[in-house]
Amino acid sequence: MNIRAPIYASTPRYSNLTTRNYNAIGADNYAIESRSVSYSIKNERGKVVPIIKDCSLNIPSGQFWMLLGPNGCGKSTLLKILAGLLSPTDGFVYVRKPRSYVFQNPDHQVVMPTVEADVAFGLGRFNLTNDETKLRVAKALTAVGMYDYLQRPVQTLSGGQKQRVAIAGALVEQCKVLLLDELTTFLDETDQLGVIKAVKNTLSSSEDVTALWVTHRLEELEYADGAVYMEDGKVVMHGEPSVIMDSIEARKASYTDNINS
Amino acid sequence: MNIQIHPTANFTLSSRNPRIFFLPQFPPNPQKIPKHTYTTKPLFKTLIKCSQTSDSDPPKWDKLLPKNIISADKILRSIAGATSSPICQFISSPTTFLHSVDPRIKLAWLLVLVVIPARTHIYMRFGLITFLATLSVWILPRQVWVDQLGRTALLSGILFLMVGLGADSVPMVVQSRTPPPSMMGLPNIPPSFDGYSYLLFKLGPLQLTRKGLSLASTTACLTFSIFQSASLCLTTTTPEQLAFALQWFMKPLAYVGVPVAEVILTLLLSLRFINLVFDEVRIVALGIVSRRINWKHLATMETVDVFFTYIRRIFKNIFNHAEQITQAMTVRGFRGDSSSHKIYFSSSSSAPIPNMVSLVTLVGLIGAAALSEYILI
Repeated sequence: MNIRAPIYASTPRYSNLTTRNYNAIGADNYAIESRSVSYSIKNERGKVVPIIKDCSLNIPSGQFWMLLGPNGCGKSTLLKILAGLLSPTDGFVYVRKPRSYVFQNPDHQVVMPTVEADVAFGLGRFNLTNDETKLRVAKALTAVGMYDYLQRPVQTLSGGQKQRVAIAGALVEQCKVLLLDELTTFLDETDQLGVIKAVKNTLSSSEDVTALWVTHRLEELEYADGAVYMEDGKVVMHGEPSVIMDSIEARKASYTDNINS
Repeated sequence: MNIQIHPTANFTLSSRNPRIFFLPQFPPNPQKIPKHTYTTKPLFKTLIKCSQTSDSDPPKWDKLLPKNIISADKILRSIAGATSSPICQFISSPTTFLHSVDPRIKLAWLLVLVVIPARTHIYMRFGLITFLATLSVWILPRQVWVDQLGRTALLSGILFLMVGLGADSVPMVVQSRTPPPSMMGLPNIPPSFDGYSYLLFKLGPLQLTRKGLSLASTTACLTFSIFQSASLCLTTTTPEQLAFALQWFMKPLAYVGVPVAEVILTLLLSLRFINLVFDEVRIVALGIVSRRINWKHLATMETVDVFFTYIRRIFKNIFNHAEQITQAMTVRGFRGDSSSHKIYFSSSSSAPIPNMVSLVTLVGLIGAAALSEYILI
């Protein structure tokens, strides 16, 4: 989706990208770009409620970025706008194609009864031969460590396994951009790590694939190449994970001090 | 409005709540106690609470009656504790002989196994049951076949007994049109020289006749073969393979305008959705059970209200799932046209030897069934 709309000069409040990550990257090397994106809805009384307010972000190609923020700050809505599921009220959005979106709840993503057929579902529109489909499905399932579950009924899988099948379903389309919406929300620690590593392995094994991972778990930041922090529908910070982590920790400490004093 | 009230009951009248609460116990001797009639104002805003006095013990027979056999709590607990996996789901390993058989041949087998019990000799019917039972023991894992065969055999056995003994044991309601031979001065029908007897077994009012045996064996065999063959097919075939076989058989219908691709996609989505519905029913029930509702304190209408809330919640969640799955299908490239979106059914190809063996056995079974009516009389 390429939405051309009036562009406003807008930058995040803090932009601490290093020279290596940001300035050296030309404008063409961004896999995801959004400028002054706003999104609002009308409530039951007909009043306009802004959800996303003037959000700008740039995600360099081939990197694994995280979109963080408290519950209800608009992370998932922004991701849906980037995926083309929602149209922004205002602003400019560019996302390299083909792109894939993975839902928070794997039960919403997995549409076929068996693992193999589900992963292959996204290839239905390409008119591939059975052998080609089989090869691509095998490759995608191997990437997420689920090849042994090829013939398994989906309902017999655990939450983490279902989530990996959902990721394989996105990977099989050989997408350039992966948009991942809070994949680890319903998972325990082991499955959480398994899913993150599956995504990381995929990125390292394939060139030019960019992933934007929405989460509210701070400990996942250590796996990211960069991060965007949102609050109240706005992009507040945008840059290196360590800096964002420090900033969030400082805010937490200040909040705790305020309560204790 | 007149209300008859027992004198041993205490009453609390409230002007706010229109509900009436009754305790289930009965008075010790209701016939001896005089009834009093009170006339009250309209009851729209009245609460009447009844409680029993301490000296009124329930009668002995009341203690013997089973109580709380069916209660809201028990129903919800049993739903919450049910397995999330549907019955007869595909077992991917160990891979058996039947896993390698083409799904189209399996569907043909299913059709034949439904038709044959009604059209063959009784020996063939029992042979079919033995064949299916042996195949189940050979193909399915032990814990699966023990459970399945046990249930199917029990159901078929009950049907066999009920139909067999009930077919001719019930006396005729109306008089037979033809009077018996003795009334007409004719000699009785001579007994068969080769030992033929219409009545096979008699126990008091119950009797098993040839007609009863034939009917019972057909019913039991049909029940057993339908359940067991479907179970064998479902446990060794993925839903996608079954959909592929069905699509193959339905292909000619496409020429007369039947939307075969849509039917198959809808079938596959339904098969996926069944599990989500099962999960939803179970999880919402678990949610209600975990609230620790004190059901004894709820009036009947309040209990019904909880159940309506339960059903409403299930439907809401299911519609939400449907909406999300629609969105996921759109994201994954489905553009609403089933015929242009190719479904990948399965990578596992059938092996030629199991296919050949299955086909030969199928033809042999049909031949044996056809011949049995002429040879076995």
